[in-house]
Formats: sequence, C-alpha cells, structure tokens
Amino acid sequence: MLSRRDLFRLSAGAAAFACPGLSKLAFAAAGRDPGLLILLHLRGGCDGLNLVSPAEDGDFIAARASDLRVAAEGTDAGFPLGNGFFLHAAAPGLAELYKQGHLAIVHAAGLAAGTRSHFVAIDMIDRGIADNAQLARATTGWLTRAGRGNAVSAATTPGGELLGAASALALPNLAGGVAPAGGPPVAAALERLYAGASGPFGTAGRQALESLAAIDRRLPRDATGKVTLETKAAYAGAGELATPLQTVAQLVRMEVGLTSATLDLGGWDTHENQAGRFRNQVVKLSAGLAALWEDLAPWHDRAVVVAWSEFGRRLRSNKSGGTDHGRGGVALVLGGKVAGGRVAGAWPTLAADRLDEGVDLAVANDIRAVLAEALTAVDGVPPPPAVFPGFAAQPLGLFRRS
Amino acid sequence: MPSSRDPVFLTYALARAGYGPAPGDIDKAARQGWSGWVEEQLAPTADDPVLAPRLASTLLRIRHGGGDGWDAVDEMRPLERLGKPIEALWPLADGKRKMDGAERRRPRDEVVAATLLAAVHSRWQLKELITAFWHDHFNVDFYGSDTLAATLPVYDREVIRAHALGNFRQFLEAVATSAAMLTYLSNRSSRAGAANENYARELFELHTLGRDAYLNDRYDRWRAVPGALSGQPEGYIDQDVYEAARALTGWSLEDGAGIDGRRKLPESGRFAYVESWHDGYQKRVLATEFQPFAAAMADGRQVLDLVAAHPATARHLAGKLCQRLVGGRPPRLVAAAAAEWSRQAKAPDQIARVVRLILLSPEFAAARGAKVRRPLAVAAGFARAAGIDLLPTEGLVNAIAGAGQRLFGWPTPTGLPDEDSQFLGAQALRQRWALTLGLAENWWGCGNPTPPAAATFGQAVSAWQIMLLGAPDPEAGNAILAGLGWSADQSPGRPGMPDTARKLNRLAALTAMAPAFHQI
Repeated sequence: MLSRRDLFRLSAGAAAFACPGLSKLAFAAAGRDPGLLILLHLRGGCDGLNLVSPAEDGDFIAARASDLRVAAEGTDAGFPLGNGFFLHAAAPGLAELYKQGHLAIVHAAGLAAGTRSHFVAIDMIDRGIADNAQLARATTGWLTRAGRGNAVSAATTPGGELLGAASALALPNLAGGVAPAGGPPVAAALERLYAGASGPFGTAGRQALESLAAIDRRLPRDATGKVTLETKAAYAGAGELATPLQTVAQLVRMEVGLTSATLDLGGWDTHENQAGRFRNQVVKLSAGLAALWEDLAPWHDRAVVVAWSEFGRRLRSNKSGGTDHGRGGVALVLGGKVAGGRVAGAWPTLAADRLDEGVDLAVANDIRAVLAEALTAVDGVPPPPAVFPGFAAQPLGLFRRS
Repeated sequence: MPSSRDPVFLTYALARAGYGPAPGDIDKAARQGWSGWVEEQLAPTADDPVLAPRLASTLLRIRHGGGDGWDAVDEMRPLERLGKPIEALWPLADGKRKMDGAERRRPRDEVVAATLLAAVHSRWQLKELITAFWHDHFNVDFYGSDTLAATLPVYDREVIRAHALGNFRQFLEAVATSAAMLTYLSNRSSRAGAANENYARELFELHTLGRDAYLNDRYDRWRAVPGALSGQPEGYIDQDVYEAARALTGWSLEDGAGIDGRRKLPESGRFAYVESWHDGYQKRVLATEFQPFAAAMADGRQVLDLVAAHPATARHLAGKLCQRLVGGRPPRLVAAAAAEWSRQAKAPDQIARVVRLILLSPEFAAARGAKVRRPLAVAAGFARAAGIDLLPTEGLVNAIAGAGQRLFGWPTPTGLPDEDSQFLGAQALRQRWALTLGLAENWWGCGNPTPPAAATFGQAVSAWQIMLLGAPDPEAGNAILAGLGWSADQSPGRPGMPDTARKLNRLAALTAMAPAFHQI
C-alpha cells in the first residue's frame, strides 16, 4: 500500500529530473498536515449583486431591474444574511451552510487593478499579482509559489493558479479508470517510449504515465473491475459541476497526498437574458458545494473551499436583460474553521459617488486577501511575500483563531 | 537550414502547415520544393477530387427518440444541411416547430463531420488549417444553444472559409454581421440607451487589437492614452469599448423581435440593421470623433475600419499566426509579418500574403519540434499517414473532444488556446494516446489503416515510422517492440490475415504514440 504523499513524491521526483529547481516547490512542508485548499472558479464574471443583494438598499433598487435583484420578501424572497444582504432564493444549500456558520461571504471582492477583461483579470488572479505590468514576468501561479503544486485540477488542463507546477494533474473524471487504453502491453510500450524522452511533451507524457498508473492502482473497483466512486453525497442538481466535484472528493478520500484542487463552473457571463440563466447557475453552485461539503465530512477541519470569480457585473442592466462586465464581485469561503455566518469585509455602498468609474460596485476587498487568509488557515502561517507580490495584508477575519 | 526537399523536413512542415502527409505527398512536395508547395496551396481552386465525392456520398448517423409530433429516427443520412442558406436553417431553432433536438442540431453535426472529412481528404491542406485557425480566432460556441448550432454551416461557408485567406477588414464585417456572432456575443439584442458591450469588448480584446493594447489600468481618460491627441492612440480603454458598443447598436438579425408596437422583424436569421435601435448621437472611439446621425451602419463600419487598421491588430494577428504555424513567436518574424499585414491592408489576399511570409521564413524552417499537435491534428494526421479512408462518426468526434478539442464547442470567446500546455493534462494525454489506438483498431467505425507489406515486425515498425515521422527511428522501434513483447525479426504473420493486420495496426498506433509524432 502506498503511503500518503507517495504519489506526488513519484511525480515530483520526475519533475526534479526534468526541471531542477521545481522539486522544492512541489512539496508541502514535510511532517505536517498540509491541509487541503479547494478553489472553485465561477468563470465568466458572476454577478455578485444578483447572488448576494443589498435587497433593501434604495440605490440598488433604483438602479437594478427587479428580476436581477434578490427579493427581500414575497414568494421568491431570498435568504436574509443580516446587515441588509439577502442570498439568492435558488441557494438553499448555501443558506444552510451559512446558517451553520461554515460559510462566510466576502462582497465587493476583486482585483485592485482596474480591468474589465475576463482574461486579463483571470490571469492576474491566477498569478497572484495586482499589477498588469507584472503579467509578462509572472510565469507561475500563486498555488505553485505557495508550495501547493501537489494538486489536481478537475479539468482538461491544470488551473492557472498551478502554472509551473510540474506535479499538478489535470483529471476531469475517474469513472472509466485512468490507465492507458490498450492494456498492459501498450502501457509497457508507452513507458519505454517516454522513459528517456525530452522536451515538454515527452516530460509531460512520462509524468502522466507515472501519476495515472499510481492513481489507477488505488481506484476502488467492484468484482468485475469497474471503478466505483465512493460518493457519500448526492450531487444531483450540480449539473456539469457534479463530475469534477466527485473527482476531487474521490482523490481526497484516496489520500494520495493532495494539497490543493481547482475546478471551474462556467456560464456566468450573462450579458443577455440573465434572470433565468443566473438562477440555473446558482442552483448548480449551491447544490454542488452543499454536496461536496457533505462528501468531505471527515476532512472538514482540514479543508477550505473558496469560490471566486474574476469580477462582478455592471450595477445597471443593459437592454438585453443582462449585465456587462463590472468590478466588485462575491467570494464564498467554506470550511470547518471558517468564522462563517456573516458577510465579511468592507462594503463601499452603491451610492453614486462610491461607484467604480461611476458604473460599478467598487472593489473594497482585494481578492488576494481572501486567498491569503484561506492559505494561512491551511498552512498555519501567513504566505511568504512571493506568493502575492506587493500585497499588504488586509484582515478580513475569515477564520476562527484556534 | 534543412533542404526544402528533405523528407523529414517536409513531413514536419506539412504537419504544421496542414494535417500532415498522406501517402505520396512527400514525394510530390519534394518535386515541388517547399516554396512550390506553399504557392500551390495559397491558390486553392474549387477542384478537390478526393474530398468532393466524399462530401457528397458520406452518410452520418442520426438517432433520436420519438416525441410529441415526431417519430423516432435511427438512420444514415447525407450531409444535406451543409450547403443551405440561413433562411433554411434558422427555423430549425424555432421552439414552436415540433422536432427532436438532434434534428435542430444536425447542421452543426454535419459541419463537424465535413471538417473531419476535409482535414483528412482535402488536397487544400493549408486552407483547412487556416480555416481552423480563424474558427478559433472568431470563436463561437456552437454547443451553446440550438440557435447557434443552426447557424454553423453559413458561418463556416460564407464567413470563415470565404475570407480565410482574404482581406481582414472584409472578414471582420462578415463576422460582425453573421447570425452566429450576433447571437453568440449578443449584439443582436443591443439597443440604444444601454448598449450590450459583449461583442464590442471581444472585438477589441480578442478579434483585433488584443489584450496587450488594453490600457485601462493605466489610463482612465481617452486623452491620456499616448498618441491619442494626434489621433493614433497606442491602445484602448473601457471608454472605447463603451462607445464602440453604442456605434454597433442596431446591428441585429431578422429574429422575429418586435421593433415597436406595430412592426416585427421577419424570422429568417438574415442580418438586419434597425435604425430605431441605433444610438445615433456623436461618439469617440480610439480618439476619433464620430459625427452624430451618420448614415445607416456607418458608425459600426467606422469602428471596424479603426480596429482593423490599428498597428496593435497587425501585431496581435501576426503573433497568433506565428504561434499556430511556427509554434512560437520569434520577434523578428512577428515584426516582419505585422509589417506585411499593415502593408497589404487593402489587398484582397492580405492574409495569404502574411501566411506566405511566415511559411517561407527561416524561423519556420528551423522550428521543427516547436509545437504540439492539436487533437484534431493527431486524428487527421494519423488517418492521413496510415491510409485510413476516414468516415466521420460521433465516436471519433467524442474521442477528439476527450483529448482536449471539442470541435466548434469551445465555451469562451478566446477560442481553444494555442499554447502547448493546453494539451498536456494527464487525462488529455491518456485520451490522446487512445485516439491513435482507437483509429488504428477501428473502435469508432471510421475505417481501417492500410498496413505496409513487411516480412518482420522490425520492417513493419520502420515502415510506419517513415509514413508517420518521415524516417525510421530504431530506438523508438525497439522500445515499442520490447513493450509489446514482439521481436524485430519475428514475422507478423501471413499477409492479409486479420490477425496480421491487427498486429500491424497496433504497431501503427504505438508509432504515433511516440513523442516525435506529437511534437512537430
């Protein structure tokens, strides 16, 4: 039986061979429980004001079409969160986690730099930087620099936070097993073909073969050899998020030495006909996170889940019934040590003179403050400066002092 | 610099400027020389004697259950939606018409099948590759809705293919007025008063100037952008996006929307300019004043003129074309290609001229191994080299998607990224290896390889290596045979026997699983 971290020792060793210098980054500090950080990217720019509305705020009511606001009362009323905020009515799972104190919400969160481009914003957040001018030189992701490259991305490619982490694995699903097709002779030929291969493709191939074989050996199977995921929760309702979440939960259960995981939920770029589309998105998000939380019950004190988006959306809707790219958004922080049940951080208000460029909820809480506190909670110590260059701590108090 | 007639050079060159050589291609290209091949490919004619009969005769399965108003279907059907105009396709998305979703999405599925056929069989390989480049550049997610699925044949035929080697400014307007893009980036519902910024933003950031020219974090007033006061701003800021969105209001579609209380647009899917939805007041885009109440479409056209002619657009597109064709962005080549792009701005074959410059550059010749084949290129390249008379099937389409390329189904407007790292995820690599094995062993009903005659496994593996890689590679051959437990001097069996073919095909798959096939 492999011990914890063995899997990632294997691939980290291969990485060290190919890229000297990366090997140290690929390990969490030895001998200490590294905890588990799970990052869910709400891709496309989630309308934070529609997910968590200041529903009784006069400025908000005046500016926003009613179908893009959470109602404070009536048949479709949202969940009251205190301080005038209401959570979308399609998020009962999140409301329950909030009530239990496991979930904290940070509003008006985002990048300090003024970008309304998806792709610039995502790249900057992934790299942990706040200055566009650093982008060209920032060649590693913040998780990589935080020493959390023993990671899985439940996607076709590793998340941008893991850029440069040779040990990061991209595994969107496990259901069919992960050994190479063609059986042991093909696997043996592949191993020989890639044993001495050089170049990025050859190196990636060799690492993939090692990691896939190690994971495949440990996958639970029934008597006929079919993979049986040991899901402890119902992911129904989570839509396309179900399989990636189950993949992460299964790898956590298998104790392969995972220190972080990343996944994506797209579909938040609601320039048009937002009301119905947004509701569907919220259903998936809420059901998915609630199921993951249930599935990971034995790991609650070790795990932190952060759901984030590259920006929020325009305060005023456009005439397509949608909203365009904005600034301040919402981040969700879930964990056993989270000081939850509250909307944390500063609230800049929606008063006309407080809006970013006169049109958007301003960014009052640096997204890096959210990520840094999550990292501190799992690491036990604040991240070194290189993880978030130029970042000055801005305490949000998202975690209980233990 | 390798000889322009060297078979190994030509094998890699044809894999980067097309989908790789089919049997006979290397001999022909060696007679033409590299520049001869490029010139022929840059002047494609309508004549495609291998592809045309296959497009006409291919049957693609359609299967769906019965429903309220329609019967269950499971049949092989010709590609009959491919040549249809938008008026014939648009009604398929109409929810009031009773039909199964598979029928609504059939136009998309036929283009997917035709794309696979063309990648494998077209004699105009370069045009196929450049067509794929533009589909990525002007990405539309045709899996996003039934409406989008219905628009793909016209987008592919009249927008992308019609302009792939043509003039970029004309191309841009064809994209901007297409049912596919107007729907995907929602400009069709943009209205004066609160314009929808979706298309305008991606027009700047993705289609033309590029994100390197997005200077919003540095400047928040148009006058502050360097060059603005002389009418030549170095880049753009959010204000340019907002104003361009206003300029493009009224560019819409005949989608049945109501214009006012009395009038409705027809439901044909054709482009429509609706004056009353257009914001006619004065604007400023890229430091250029737009006069109020200009003629119909003049505001939008002026935006397209400005972004098409901007030097940042030349750099952005030159860089992307180099990334695709060379596998990197060598600074000298990008600069030379950008200069040619700007110099030929009015030429009807502007894009072809830039592609020629890149393909005939020393950087292209020296770039062997600089690029990882994309999943479609793995499948098509293997099928071509292994002599599979490919029949496109849903199974193959899904296998290519598993390796990281859902054809016509990339969700975000960036298009499938062109960086190698996109394709190196562990599961994606596993499925990439399975792709050649599945084709070699005909898992998806696409057809069988044509194995070479060989007296021994050793001869067989080197024959496959010549077909797939341009030259024998004894070390890799030994690795494959040792892994499979076969010896080089052993006979694969009697020629023509099923078991012999099975072994030879497995050798083809393993040959194509080697890094040398993927790193081109």
